[in-house]
Amino acid sequence: MPGFDFSNYNRNAALHARGVPLPKATSTGTTIVGCIYDNGVVIAADTRATSGPIVADKNCEKLHYISPKIWCAGAGTAADTEFTTALISSNVELHSLSTGRDPRVITCMTMLKQHLFRYQGHIGAYLVVAGADPTGVSLFTVHAHGSTDKLPYVTMGSGSLAAMSVFETMWRPNLDREGAVALCSEAIKAGIFNDLGSGSNVDVCVISKDKPTELLRNYMRPNERGHKERNYRFPKGTTAWLNQKIISKEDMKNYVTIENLSGSDELATGEKMEVDS
Amino acid sequence: MTSIGTGYDLSNSVFSPDGRNFQVEYAVKAVENGGTAIGIRCKGGVVLAVEKIITSKLLKPGANKRIATVDRHVGIVSSGLVPDGRHFVSRARDEASSWRGTYKGPIPISALANRLGGYVQAYTLYSSVRPFGVTSIVGGWDSEAELAVDGQVGTGPKSGAGGKVEGAKVGGPGLFMIEPSGLYWGYYGAATGKGRQAAKAELEKLDLSAEKLSLHDGVKEAARIIYVAHEDSKDKEFELEMTWISSLDGPTQGRHEEVPRELLDEAEKAARRALEGDDEEDEGARGSGEQMEE
Amino acid sequence: MIGHGTTGMLGEDGIHVDMNHLKSGEVKNLDVSERRLFGLLSHSQQPLTSTSMAINFKDGVILGADSRTTTGAYIANRVTDKLTQVHDTIWCCRSGSAADTQAVADIVSYHLNMYGVTNNESPTTQVAASLFQELCYENKNQLSAGIIIAGYDPRHGGQVYSIPLGGSLHKQSFAIGGSGSTYIYGYTDAHWRENMTEQEGIDFVRSALQEAIKWDGSSGGVIRLVVLTKRGAVRHLYLPDNGYTGPGATN
Repeated sequence: MPGFDFSNYNRNAALHARGVPLPKATSTGTTIVGCIYDNGVVIAADTRATSGPIVADKNCEKLHYISPKIWCAGAGTAADTEFTTALISSNVELHSLSTGRDPRVITCMTMLKQHLFRYQGHIGAYLVVAGADPTGVSLFTVHAHGSTDKLPYVTMGSGSLAAMSVFETMWRPNLDREGAVALCSEAIKAGIFNDLGSGSNVDVCVISKDKPTELLRNYMRPNERGHKERNYRFPKGTTAWLNQKIISKEDMKNYVTIENLSGSDELATGEKMEVDS
Repeated sequence: MTSIGTGYDLSNSVFSPDGRNFQVEYAVKAVENGGTAIGIRCKGGVVLAVEKIITSKLLKPGANKRIATVDRHVGIVSSGLVPDGRHFVSRARDEASSWRGTYKGPIPISALANRLGGYVQAYTLYSSVRPFGVTSIVGGWDSEAELAVDGQVGTGPKSGAGGKVEGAKVGGPGLFMIEPSGLYWGYYGAATGKGRQAAKAELEKLDLSAEKLSLHDGVKEAARIIYVAHEDSKDKEFELEMTWISSLDGPTQGRHEEVPRELLDEAEKAARRALEGDDEEDEGARGSGEQMEE
Repeated sequence: MIGHGTTGMLGEDGIHVDMNHLKSGEVKNLDVSERRLFGLLSHSQQPLTSTSMAINFKDGVILGADSRTTTGAYIANRVTDKLTQVHDTIWCCRSGSAADTQAVADIVSYHLNMYGVTNNESPTTQVAASLFQELCYENKNQLSAGIIIAGYDPRHGGQVYSIPLGGSLHKQSFAIGGSGSTYIYGYTDAHWRENMTEQEGIDFVRSALQEAIKWDGSSGGVIRLVVLTKRGAVRHLYLPDNGYTGPGATN
């Protein structure tokens, strides 16, 4: 019999109705990473946004601007990462203007952690903070509850385990720019391919001490939709039918009331609005 | 008074063109009419003393105290407007209590003086208030012992304290005087009120900076100085009030207390004798004509 | 999360409908199981997952801690520095929620620095302990923090204070804390001696922590020490690669 088979679904629903718990589905989410190299720092992210089991956006941006040389990668609740980084970016700029100095990464990290701690984890922002400032190059993670870590390479999000396994096997001290970019994108790809919640493309941001920051949007597109070898459109007449009945416009009156509207401007009836003059 | 009629003295917080704040200067005038108050920083503690002019025969002798305890280890005596002094003491108690709340220990005298100085100074800044009509002397003893944290569980272990530097001097007497402007300094001997000039002259003779004067001698000197300072207003009767704070191994064990009755009587007796003796000595000196003194 | 949650009902047609699930269509990069992984759901029930200790010795105090930070079953940081400086020669060992203890240490650090400049003298270890206790006690319902404070000052020498979960304050000759500490109560009690030399103290702390790391799954990584004496603070590092024997002092 042609069509979909709902028997498994009905079985599951019936079991569920009798109180059998459904198996837990594994996670959705994000992969974000960061890694310090000899003259700067690289952060990278996947581009999948999910809403429950649905992929909400196949090519979203998870790398957030704070200041020209401080950037954040965000995991967790998308709206929270978006608004938290925007708020801190604004405050960092005002702070920079009032002090007349370039903003520091540690300042940004402290503002983020104090903001997030105040909200006791209700703001679900998990961030990788990276940047270069007059004191050097820094890389931090900030968790939603307000804790922070300082490390030479970091991963966050549901794909962090896959990404960390790449770092733990391939990371070595004194990487150069190309090595760090390659390592970070490799770690993101591990998340994209091995984590359900991560997917689509790789975004990379390279911040160096002495060069302008480069945002490499869709640095890699490992999930390009290929051209289909065949056309799966069904030709007209594929579906068989047993009988056919054609109803003309005249016959339609037997089933519904048809009222023809005049072409005048009295389409809608109602009182005219009075206007003071 | 050059300030009168210029208008610059009518509001608090207003400077005159030559940079003076007349309201504060008037407050100082209020102090200059108050009973003499002194503080002496001795080797083993601090003595506070005040001359209380008897304004009415109906006042009960020995009641109506003018030296207040702020915390166990601190006392304050003020000269000037008495109610201002009381409010000032109330604030001092709040500060000492707030310190204990935060740091779980007694407030150092210097820190208390600093906070009170800041408080008084704030009353020179606003047109809606007037400056304090008192100059206050804050005396106390910073414990030389190792203090436990208030509220810590148990007394702590016997062991520990590794690497302690033995014999390092900590704690000791503290004496500060705070003026209506908020200005405060630390003193060996402090005097304020009507008889301050005479009192200061006497204090200077004691060589307090040598830190050799004992607490008991300090009590005697304090009584004598109040009596000396009273000489200029002999027509009015007065009562002497005196408190002290000693080191932990001294008579008050680091606490601010009234000087005991017997010692106070003894000191007053000695003070009167010294004054009378001065008169006799003066006469004697005149008689013999041996030497001139300056 | 794929499929259904554990709520909802079957429609007439046998189709499962969970309105709560449908309504909670917030766009997230993170779901429930991941939130639990990050410790978001069982926050206050967390045990103090780490081992830390501080001891008095002849010339001062020594602090020590493992370096493991966990979110659920995942090690979020294997080289954490749990020994935090709050003043020149006052340090603390943090165990419990990383966010809570970092926030508390930051606040205490601020107050101690303010104390130093307003009173023209360095705060004593007692002052630091008071500030920690005030924060931990007044916010005991919001915090999961077990903190050991150790400091040196010339007046009091080395001192060790412990503030366990409820916010009480205990002065101790030596203190141990965190989930791993349960495994070394016997060891520390049996091997503790008063007035140890610096090397004896270091060996005592190092081997106690090594034992805690061996038995406690929530403790691990490297061993970090700080030795506090009148000469200031000296950090030590001991790696698992060589059985926690080196490299030793790092500054």
